[in-house]
Amino acid sequence: MFKNLVRVGLLSAVVLATFTSCEEEQQFTNEKLDAKRVEVQVLNDNLAKVRDYVPLYAVIAHRGSTFWAPEETEASWRWAREMGADYLESDVQCTKDGIVLANHDENLKRTTNIENVFSENVPASRVDFYMSLGFTRADAEAQYGRDMAAFRPFYTLSYYYAELLMLDAGSWFNESSLEQSRPTFKATENGRFENGHIVYSNGLYISAIQDQIAYAEGKRLVRDANGRRLLTYKVKDEYQGMTLQQIYDAIKAKGEYNAKYMDFIEYDFANAYEADPEDTGNRPGIYVEFKESWLNPGNMEQRVYDALAECGWNIITNDPGEQPFYRNGKVNVGNTRGRVILQTFSFDALRRANDIFKGRIPMCYLLWISEPAYATDIAYDTPTGYAAFIKWAQDNGAHIIGPAISGAPNNYPEMNAPWQAYMIRRAGMINHPYSFDSWAQMCKYMGYYNYGWETEFDDLLRLEIPATPYCTSSYPNSVPVYMDGFFTNRTEMSLRYMIENGFRGNAQLPNPFLAGQKYDNSQANVIVPDAVATLERLGY
Amino acid sequence: MKKYILMPVLAIFALAAAAQDFDTDPTLELENAEKQVKFTVGARMMADAAYYHSDFTPLQSGASITDARIRTSMTYKDWYFYADFGFGGGKFAQKNIFVQYSTLDNSDNTHAVKVGYYNDPAGSMARNTSLGSYHFISRPGSSMALGEGRELGISYKFNNDHFMAYQGVFTENAYNKIEAGFNGVTVAGRYLFRPIADDFQTLHVGVNARYAHLGGGTVYNNVLKKTLSLGQPLETYVDQDEQFVSADLDWANNVVNLGAEALYRNDKFFARGEFFYKHVTKKRDSYSLYIDAQNNIDGWGDIEWWENANKLKNNNFFGGYVEAGIQLLGNGYKYNYQEGLLGGMDGKSLEIVARYNYTGLNNLTDGEYYNAGRGHYYANGYMEDWPGTGATSVGGGDIHSITLGLNYAFNRYVLCMFDYTFHKLDKPFLPNDKNFHVAQARVQFTF
Repeated sequence: MFKNLVRVGLLSAVVLATFTSCEEEQQFTNEKLDAKRVEVQVLNDNLAKVRDYVPLYAVIAHRGSTFWAPEETEASWRWAREMGADYLESDVQCTKDGIVLANHDENLKRTTNIENVFSENVPASRVDFYMSLGFTRADAEAQYGRDMAAFRPFYTLSYYYAELLMLDAGSWFNESSLEQSRPTFKATENGRFENGHIVYSNGLYISAIQDQIAYAEGKRLVRDANGRRLLTYKVKDEYQGMTLQQIYDAIKAKGEYNAKYMDFIEYDFANAYEADPEDTGNRPGIYVEFKESWLNPGNMEQRVYDALAECGWNIITNDPGEQPFYRNGKVNVGNTRGRVILQTFSFDALRRANDIFKGRIPMCYLLWISEPAYATDIAYDTPTGYAAFIKWAQDNGAHIIGPAISGAPNNYPEMNAPWQAYMIRRAGMINHPYSFDSWAQMCKYMGYYNYGWETEFDDLLRLEIPATPYCTSSYPNSVPVYMDGFFTNRTEMSLRYMIENGFRGNAQLPNPFLAGQKYDNSQANVIVPDAVATLERLGY
Repeated sequence: MKKYILMPVLAIFALAAAAQDFDTDPTLELENAEKQVKFTVGARMMADAAYYHSDFTPLQSGASITDARIRTSMTYKDWYFYADFGFGGGKFAQKNIFVQYSTLDNSDNTHAVKVGYYNDPAGSMARNTSLGSYHFISRPGSSMALGEGRELGISYKFNNDHFMAYQGVFTENAYNKIEAGFNGVTVAGRYLFRPIADDFQTLHVGVNARYAHLGGGTVYNNVLKKTLSLGQPLETYVDQDEQFVSADLDWANNVVNLGAEALYRNDKFFARGEFFYKHVTKKRDSYSLYIDAQNNIDGWGDIEWWENANKLKNNNFFGGYVEAGIQLLGNGYKYNYQEGLLGGMDGKSLEIVARYNYTGLNNLTDGEYYNAGRGHYYANGYMEDWPGTGATSVGGGDIHSITLGLNYAFNRYVLCMFDYTFHKLDKPFLPNDKNFHVAQARVQFTF
């Protein structure tokens, strides 16, 4: 009897084990579930303090605008300022003479007429340019030889900034965006070397970071009667009296960057701008992206630090104190501690920026994914991988995550799905996705499509937005919000969305980062100017 | 006269039976004494059920026919032919197939030469033991990750009561199915000393060594790329996912295995264990790859720079296990002297068993940084924009495993096994996977 019992018991155990193994338990990887349980590093107090320098629901004018005007030029940034964007966004690279300028692509072919002006050679006027600075022909020709050895066609690092001002940075836009094209975007004269000096073009220019800051300050370029900007330059005092060979050797001896760079020219940016008569008082901040590290010298971040300091925009050297983000219906971000946000995809740039800025200026780490993964891409877009990147970003002084979003026309990979937005919020970091082109995208990532419906991430993402007089509905808005600000190519559309849905011009917004506290942006501009009329008002 | 002929033949039969993969006596035998031929047929089936609980990444609990096999053998005089074929998982698989010539000399030493496809002598004691005779549902993980399995080759074995020397030459692949290169060559040997060897108890200690030159690989940018893959499942067959403990070693060239083993058994108790060390050397046609890398506007400087950014490091891995069992009911533990292995459960019996296993596939380089979002290491301690940053760490995973088991054989044909295993994992790519619990059961039928 006992033996039979043992046998039955053993067989029953096998059956039971089989049965329990078939229970309907979650037996697959669920990223939504994992987003809640994977460990996420939370911003420390110091970084959280700097995070709060940034206005919530910031409208970041992506390259000024890629839709209405030539990107990263005087036209697009003046337009964005006048429309009421909170930030003027840019991508910075470095010229041969060390000027920090704005250019998105790795070269200048798409956004300038460089192929027509310089072909694929070191500018033919280079020797004359050197001689115009007082160097001998033999010295200039020797340097020209060194320039040729380090030359990479169409890369900013191969050209002096003065040479790049010979280019037209607007005519390409008229050819690629026929419906938005405007005669004033095109230069009527290209630049040239004439009578012993460089003659700039008379259209839109590749912008230096000083230009971008000037536009944010309500200024515009000083131009002559022919429409050419006025920007003089000279050999820096420390190199006066030296030959180009001596300058080259001296720069090389510094060891900071290699022979591609000849940082011996000083530009008179102090007298390059004037008050913009069309300025209506908005003072946006700037949102500066360090491009891939191999496009720039190793001290690129220090150069930006110095440029910001020289312009009075480095809050480490020039603290503006507590200031409101909006004042009397005008953007005032440019006068606050959040006036500059840095951003990058680059591991090297993030780390070096942290070495220099030490997390004391808001910093955004941008996310991208591709197959196979590029050098700085996230390769494993899982909650575990996401958490690893969040930690990396925080450990290197970042306060903001900038994920790509899907949707036409760019059709970027989706990196701001609800579970991803949830993880960013868990980390206490700001979420600045990029880049918005449509009302549908606004609705999607501002939770409009989840209006009133329960979601899995309501505990951290759902917000109750009180209605304002500017909203299209008089009822409070209960939505899960998947971002805290965003890069947009359509500032006019994005501002209108934020205003009509209560995210702008509201004194009673809940602060998702500071529980129980309100966020007041009731002083923000609540009337969005007409995009075309604004361009015309600005003279385009 | 017939008696004098028959006795050696029966002795050879005994040797041959011990040499087969299933170490139970075959049930179906056809014998023609006149022609001195014996033919056997056997089969086995294993059905497992498993329940898994993990911290993070789920495994698929369920039930599975983990093994189904048919085996045959034929013996003629000093010659023995053996073949078995697997159908587990619904797929046909070639298992062992070999022919062996063996003889006894006047000093009772056995000399055997074996040709075919069978387990590498130095593949590990665990891997040389048939799963049908194993006292756990799975072999120890370290033997799966660091041991070796079947190879095509020829071997010679010398054996007597106190010594065994078993060595051979092999190739990697039984069918020469390689994309590029050649089939590789392996030299391996296992050497045992039995200070205690009687009917009541046995103690053997041994060492093994294996050298393999990898020959086969794939073509990568017009360069032969040989990759060695190491890995183990979580000592279970229902979900054989190896992602938790696995490593792919690109540019592998030579592999050296060194091992040590010990086994003690008496009627009611056994203990055995093994230690594994695996050394993998790397080799690469760096110049050709460097030249290929120049096909880009962002060149790599000189080859020295390229090599510094794409360093190769030889790897060292360690592992081992200890197993023990107590028979509560049954005919006692048996030792197979011809194979130097512990026998399986023989007839009605009940036993409890325990095992500790360690597998180390983390071969890290000091100072390197790992990011799970990128899935690789960085040499300078932080992420850098170019992926080839000279990092050499291998993060295949370190795992500690403890198993408790209960086995009951109803008779010599039917066996039930129950194992519980706890795994503790340390794998950089899976930082949230630390603890695994595996409860599994098996019904095994063998004849």
